[in-house]
Amino acid sequence: MEHRIDPWLILAGVAILGASLVQLAALDRTLGGHLFLRQLVWSVVGLVLLLVLSRFSGTILQRLAIPAYGLSLVLLAGVLAAGQVRSGTRGWFALGPVTLQPSEVSRLGVALIVALWFGRRSGRLLKLGELAVLSILVGLPFLLVLLEPDLGVALTYFPMWAAAAWLGGLPPKVWTALALSALVLAGGAWELALKDYQKERVLTVLDPSRDPFGAGYQVRQSKIAIGSGLLTGQGLGRGTQSLLRYLPAQHTDFIFASWAEATGFLGVSFLILAYALLLWRITLAAIRAPNRFGLALTTMIGAWLAFQIVVNLGMVVGWLPTTGITLPLFSYGGSSLATTCAALGMVIAIGRERLVNL
Amino acid sequence: MLHLRDDLSPLRRRTFALALIIAAALGALELRFLDLQVISGRRWQRMAENNRLRKIPLPGPRGRIYDRNGRILADNQPSYRLLLYPAEARHIGETVLFLARLGIGSAAELNARIEAPGRQPLAPVAISSDLSWEEVTRIRARQTDHPELVIVRGFRRWYPEGRLTAHAIGHLRMVNRSELRAHPGLDPDTLMGATGVEALAQESLAGTPGERRVVVSAVGEVLGVLDETPPSAGHDLTLNLDLELQKAAAEALGDSSGAVVALDPRTGAIRAFYSSPSFDPNVFGGRLSTSAWAALRDDPEHPLQDRCVQGLYPPGSTIKPFYALAGLATGAITPQTRVYCRGFLTVYGHTFHCWRRGGHGSVDLTRSLESSCDVYYYTLGRRLGIETMAAWLRRFGFGSATGLGLPSERRGLVGTPEWSRSVRHRPWYPGTSISVAIGQGPLLATPLQLARAYAALANGGRLVTPKFFGAPDAAPTDLHLAPDQLKAVVRGLVAVVHGVHGTARSLAALPVAGKTGTSQVARLREGVKAKDLERRLRHHALFVGWEPIDDPSLVVAVIVEHGASGGGRAAPAAGLLFAAGASMDGGPDRGASLPGDAPAAAQVH
Repeated sequence: MEHRIDPWLILAGVAILGASLVQLAALDRTLGGHLFLRQLVWSVVGLVLLLVLSRFSGTILQRLAIPAYGLSLVLLAGVLAAGQVRSGTRGWFALGPVTLQPSEVSRLGVALIVALWFGRRSGRLLKLGELAVLSILVGLPFLLVLLEPDLGVALTYFPMWAAAAWLGGLPPKVWTALALSALVLAGGAWELALKDYQKERVLTVLDPSRDPFGAGYQVRQSKIAIGSGLLTGQGLGRGTQSLLRYLPAQHTDFIFASWAEATGFLGVSFLILAYALLLWRITLAAIRAPNRFGLALTTMIGAWLAFQIVVNLGMVVGWLPTTGITLPLFSYGGSSLATTCAALGMVIAIGRERLVNL
Repeated sequence: MLHLRDDLSPLRRRTFALALIIAAALGALELRFLDLQVISGRRWQRMAENNRLRKIPLPGPRGRIYDRNGRILADNQPSYRLLLYPAEARHIGETVLFLARLGIGSAAELNARIEAPGRQPLAPVAISSDLSWEEVTRIRARQTDHPELVIVRGFRRWYPEGRLTAHAIGHLRMVNRSELRAHPGLDPDTLMGATGVEALAQESLAGTPGERRVVVSAVGEVLGVLDETPPSAGHDLTLNLDLELQKAAAEALGDSSGAVVALDPRTGAIRAFYSSPSFDPNVFGGRLSTSAWAALRDDPEHPLQDRCVQGLYPPGSTIKPFYALAGLATGAITPQTRVYCRGFLTVYGHTFHCWRRGGHGSVDLTRSLESSCDVYYYTLGRRLGIETMAAWLRRFGFGSATGLGLPSERRGLVGTPEWSRSVRHRPWYPGTSISVAIGQGPLLATPLQLARAYAALANGGRLVTPKFFGAPDAAPTDLHLAPDQLKAVVRGLVAVVHGVHGTARSLAALPVAGKTGTSQVARLREGVKAKDLERRLRHHALFVGWEPIDDPSLVVAVIVEHGASGGGRAAPAAGLLFAAGASMDGGPDRGASLPGDAPAAAQVH
């Protein structure tokens, strides 16, 4: 029943990581900084994590679920009490030269605990009570992250909940109810919870010419950067948008726009293909998983990564409001990279246990 | 295992469906990139050209400076600033040549500034902070060729009184490299106070510049404002200085080199502070050209030197009251002690002359000050000894900084045998002590030190800290002078002006007490009269004194370089200030705060 590590998944991951490091090195040259070296170190850490976790069996992962989830809650609560504040968000532990972002790492605990719960239940469709359990399991860390406050990262917990609900299956009536309450919630949030700048971000998606020097500025700059990449790009480190720092958050949220300016449509297609390959291999691992736990775990990881990829790219091209969701394996950031690598390691671990006679 | 496998098939279908949705989303994104980059890429590229971001610095004007009566001494005038955005230039070399041809800086200077390290990429280089109208029109005429040159409104520092207040108010300078290193956010074109009050009150006067970020088209047209940090103005400052006294000080010195310092002896408030020759501080309002700077620096009269605190002069006879106090306090003399002056004294195998060759005859303390008898003080100096003399001078603040706070202030010199050995590496000759006894030799003081020491005589023995602005010292150093001894010395200083033999009788119409001094620049050869000497070798003329005699409110120290005679030149000069002080509405008292009053002599708004 033991299988090799999935080479295609590794290939896709390394291709994206390599492109990211090339882009960060180019940014270092134009903006001055040490992003490349730091991300290189994190990449090595991430790959080691990936290889270690890929050796785990499904049983070990199941046993890890509860401690991992517990630790996640402790870390999330701890960072609220004693975390470091960066641009208004209390979300980091400083450990000497490195910082740890619990909101990123905790996704692993959530994926594991939900998969564990999902593997133990039976029956065809989710009952309302079960939906409530699922909502609490995901909602608890989600709320803790929201308190930091870090809306962007908190949103990445949503696809795991949605994937689990989708996998479990809900009666059509419940789907309708959920959709309706989502609408009501959105309306309520618009009226009560969203800050003016967040509303502006949503409105600029609907009307890109609105407020071109305010909320629409980032997206406009992003689109100009992408567009002027043309077919083959302006060359790494040569993009005028990147060079003159018009482009905001070039190493994190909008890193893909820099890449698009530098490498053009060819570079963009290369990366999108790599992401498609990655997600496809995750899908295969899920479909071939030997049990409900493995299937749920890999599907949730796939949904989470796909959500981040699609939402980040959607934001970069001006289709979705800017929310601070990063591009997995490509945006600069150690905790995010290590967490993604660990998740991919678990996907490989599940893939190695697949049923032979599928 | 088997039942589980059955259970899994609907789950697999759902995962697969999810994958299809994601694939569709990725496909849509791929098409979006195809549209943005390949189909309409050229349009976005054109937009990139019309997408320049500029940081426009918004000047935070410096605080204004007023004299004690609210007359403005430092103001801000609107000006045209020229900014250069190097990143926007088509060919930066051409821009530099264009500017050099206009006469705005040399090519080498401009290139150095453009390539200066630490400049932020979108921030401009401030080429000039004060363009002439002609320069403005000539740049505007070529604006389309040089969209990187931007003319904005700014402020230039303006000192309406010009030379009159140059040393007191000081002037501005560009921020230097080490300051830029210490404050990385600082604009390299920031002007800071260099000297005088501008430097002393830099923190409070300095405004905080703001910044506006605008998006401009390829031809320099502003398309929109991205964001703006508003500037804030610095705090205005009211000085203790009195413009009328300052004018009297300038008139008193005329064309002569020298310095005038006037203090309120009760508070240390500086009322006049004038150094001659002066210079026009308005050339420092913007960036000073190298040639203008060199002209000021190399002027043989050293107009940039602030003689009030940097000029070191032998105090001559103006030092005598302090020795008199030392003599009374140590018991070396009493007010009745008489010394017979034959016009010279021979000690240590050397003859020391009195300034009056015929001698003064029998001289007591009052008479010794009134006629400034040198032989009396030669004798007193021998009795005191150099260490006691030096110790008493230091008590009155000689040889140390006054606490004004100007870094350029010099401490002067109180020479002692120890100093001679360790600094000069020469033995101390006993005759040197005799010279020191009449304020010559290794004894140097600044005009401010003299004014401050006389303020202590005038106010009953408290050493105040001179202040351009702000509250006076809460607790000035009490010198613990015996009142009767001080009174005896003051009697002599009154006699200098009002006595029959007084050396400053020209001031007798004013309620003034003080002391003249004539200090040697070069030793007189036999048979040569002082007034026949070449100008640069003539004696310095000094007068230090106060008015009114009983309740002093104004101390004036005047030094006229090469003025030949303290009584003849410096005393009448000081008289102009005393007259101005007395003729002010309600006399010199007006507006001054008495000791114990709320410290209201100056306020920072």
